[in-house]
Amino acid sequence: MSSETLIRASDLVLEYPDGTRALDGVQFEVRENEFIALIGQNGSGKTTLSKCLNGILRPTEGSVRIGDLDTRERGTTKRIVTKVGYVFQNPDHQLFNNTVHKEIAYGPRNIGLSGDEVERRVSEAARVCGVKEELFGEHPFFLTKGLRQRVSIASILAMRPRVIIVDEPTTGQDRRQSVEVMNFLRDLWEKDGHTVIIITHEMPIVSEYARRCLVLSQGRVLMDGSTREVFGSPEVLAQTFVKPPQITRLAQALGGYGVRRDVLTIEEMMAEYRRVTSS
Amino acid sequence: MGVVPVTSPLYALHPLTRLHTLVFLGVVSLFIDVPEINIALVLLILLYLRWARVDLSGLRIYLPLTVTVAIFMFTVSIAFPNRDPSFHTFRFAGITLYAESLYWTFASYWRLMAMLFGTIQYFSTNRERETLVAIRSMRIPFAVTYFLSLALRAAGMFLEDMRTIREAERARGLDETSLSLRDRAKLYAMYMIPLFTIAIRRTDEISNALFARGYTISGKIEGGGKRSDYIHTKYVFRRRDAILITVMDVLLCSAAAARIFLGAFAVAQSPLRHYFLTAVSG
Amino acid sequence: MDAATIRGLGWKYGGRDTFAITDVDLSIPAGSFVSVVGPNEHGKTTLVSCIKGIIPHSFHGVWRGQVEIFGQDTRSLSAQRLAQETGFVFADPEAQFTSMTVEEELAFGLENVGLSLREIEERLSWVSALTGIDGLWDKSPYEISGGQKQRVAIASVLAMKPRILILDEPTSMLDPLGKDAIFSILLQIKRETDMTVIVVEHNVEQVAPLSDLMVLVYGGRIARAAPPAEFFQDCDQLVEHGIHPPQATTFLDRLRREGRFHGRLSARFEDDVEALKALLGPSAGQGTRP
Repeated sequence: MSSETLIRASDLVLEYPDGTRALDGVQFEVRENEFIALIGQNGSGKTTLSKCLNGILRPTEGSVRIGDLDTRERGTTKRIVTKVGYVFQNPDHQLFNNTVHKEIAYGPRNIGLSGDEVERRVSEAARVCGVKEELFGEHPFFLTKGLRQRVSIASILAMRPRVIIVDEPTTGQDRRQSVEVMNFLRDLWEKDGHTVIIITHEMPIVSEYARRCLVLSQGRVLMDGSTREVFGSPEVLAQTFVKPPQITRLAQALGGYGVRRDVLTIEEMMAEYRRVTSS
Repeated sequence: MGVVPVTSPLYALHPLTRLHTLVFLGVVSLFIDVPEINIALVLLILLYLRWARVDLSGLRIYLPLTVTVAIFMFTVSIAFPNRDPSFHTFRFAGITLYAESLYWTFASYWRLMAMLFGTIQYFSTNRERETLVAIRSMRIPFAVTYFLSLALRAAGMFLEDMRTIREAERARGLDETSLSLRDRAKLYAMYMIPLFTIAIRRTDEISNALFARGYTISGKIEGGGKRSDYIHTKYVFRRRDAILITVMDVLLCSAAAARIFLGAFAVAQSPLRHYFLTAVSG
Repeated sequence: MDAATIRGLGWKYGGRDTFAITDVDLSIPAGSFVSVVGPNEHGKTTLVSCIKGIIPHSFHGVWRGQVEIFGQDTRSLSAQRLAQETGFVFADPEAQFTSMTVEEELAFGLENVGLSLREIEERLSWVSALTGIDGLWDKSPYEISGGQKQRVAIASVLAMKPRILILDEPTSMLDPLGKDAIFSILLQIKRETDMTVIVVEHNVEQVAPLSDLMVLVYGGRIARAAPPAEFFQDCDQLVEHGIHPPQATTFLDRLRREGRFHGRLSARFEDDVEALKALLGPSAGQGTRP
């Protein structure tokens, strides 16, 4: 079963004006219906890569193709935005309209959809993101951080991109808020068939939700595999100061007892424990 | 303000002296109409920057500005000349040009360039910190200098936020390059909203952070006494600084006096002008 | 004398309908390391702000009860006295950095309280060594990372030698490397000084091993206050209150409820590993891998 490749980054190099190479030859394919986590320490290039994937940043060398669009071409912004959405970490950077409704409607209007279609998209995106209609007339500035994040996501979703990239969905949030956002993203992936890409530092979130992990270090891809493979390879991760979640490290510390190295959740640890103690 | 060199012989001078160069070079050309002197001044400044170890290639960003200004000034001068009947005229490419008027524009341009480079040299050799120390050594109340410092820091944060906001709006389908000029102007109004939102939220945080450090606007300490000034003491005001500042002040006053009372440095005294007018009329 | 004694504390922000915190009673022993945990917007920041004195100094609202630091009522102290007694580090490294260079930033608070130049120099050397920022003195805020900025923030607050150091989610905006650096600095502060440290954190996993006392703030009240070993005894209750204990601790709790583990729950990863190794016994190397 082959799934369609939605974004293809080939030999991607990105150099900043002062000469630093943020990305040094990256090969990366994003396929449909995936849940990918980009991990790596600050400065590894993960944020830069994500911005190349939707054309915010243009490659210095190499290319990024989104379907039949090449991000190096001019005038592609409006079309890219219907294919790849990007939600910034701080919603304040993206919200600039004075009502929630206008905010969500902005994207669809901007790409030239009819009035009826815009309305339809707004209702749909708001519903999916849990933004109630009563809030449509409110000014985003006065909403809570969580709600602003959801309005931000809704305004991106209203353009129906197949790929949605979210920068740090759970940073600074407590457990309940994190779970809410992540469950929402998981539903987008599982139920609505979107491809979700998250950039994050929180490894327990990655192990619980992401199926595929891209580990970046110094502008290069260190590892690209299933979450299980990646967290099961602590030697690779040690090169980039990324630590697997505590439960995985616990399993790895008990490797001498036959516990597998790629345990991702507490449930799995329980199962492994039972297996090992019953033999 | 990013081209400031890491090491430089310039740092032997106290920031106040360096601030003085800004005042001196920025103002002295006001009194000098003779373009030869102003051109020499610009060259001098460039040599000075070279000596101070500033990377001159970083100044390339000012090139478009100098060219644009030249084009603008000369176009206006040619299109709306001063048609004094005593002026020499000549024809060039089918247009009637007034020589004196044209030369006056030439002289004004170089005066502007001298002042511009006088300003550029200051900002290429001084970080914000030095400017603030210079201002503080003038015994201006701490609250004022601190306010300036905060404003500078806020401006810096603004710029960083601005970059992120532009990227964020790109992600919402906003393509700057495809917009008309009028729409682009509207765009900047739009950017202001997130900027201000963030700034407002930050103001709270900054004021709390200041409170946590015991900052008081008055600059006084309870139990009497003034605020210590540790940073200030890292810069030593030497005799050479006093001498240089005096020299600059004297030169500036002399130039002003010579211009105002003796009519020195007037454009009529420019040798180049003499040659130009002779060439045009003869 | 306790570092902080809180009796019947309540605070309602002006313009809001409900109290952010109510009926808070808490004693914080001098020299202890206290972590404050709980879901967002349930009162953690309000509580520590009251200890710091920012509330009610810079805020409008309704105050109830009493907060004393080393026997002095916070409402009676001036901003400068408060700054000298309690240091405060915020979550956002950007907003705290208000000067043009690291050195200025470090000296700022010290200048504000009028210390002598020599004293300032000594303190700067000391904090800069402790927080590992020796090479950064000349840098501007635009040249250093978020983690470095946060270390500068801690250093500049430490330089004032407060008796109480409060940190409000110091690591939430940092990457893992940055987080580790902050926690190791906190450990050093704990070891080398006798400061009372109060940390608000979401990262329970890394803050628990350092803590002498853990305080759970839920719905504006203190739901639990106990040393870590006791604190994690009822993992379910913690989860209900929005806290997730360290994964290893939760795992051991599950084993305990299935009757497979009878020891105490700790908050230290190394201890958990040892406990499990003891449980699994001498069968090391004989287990089968799938």
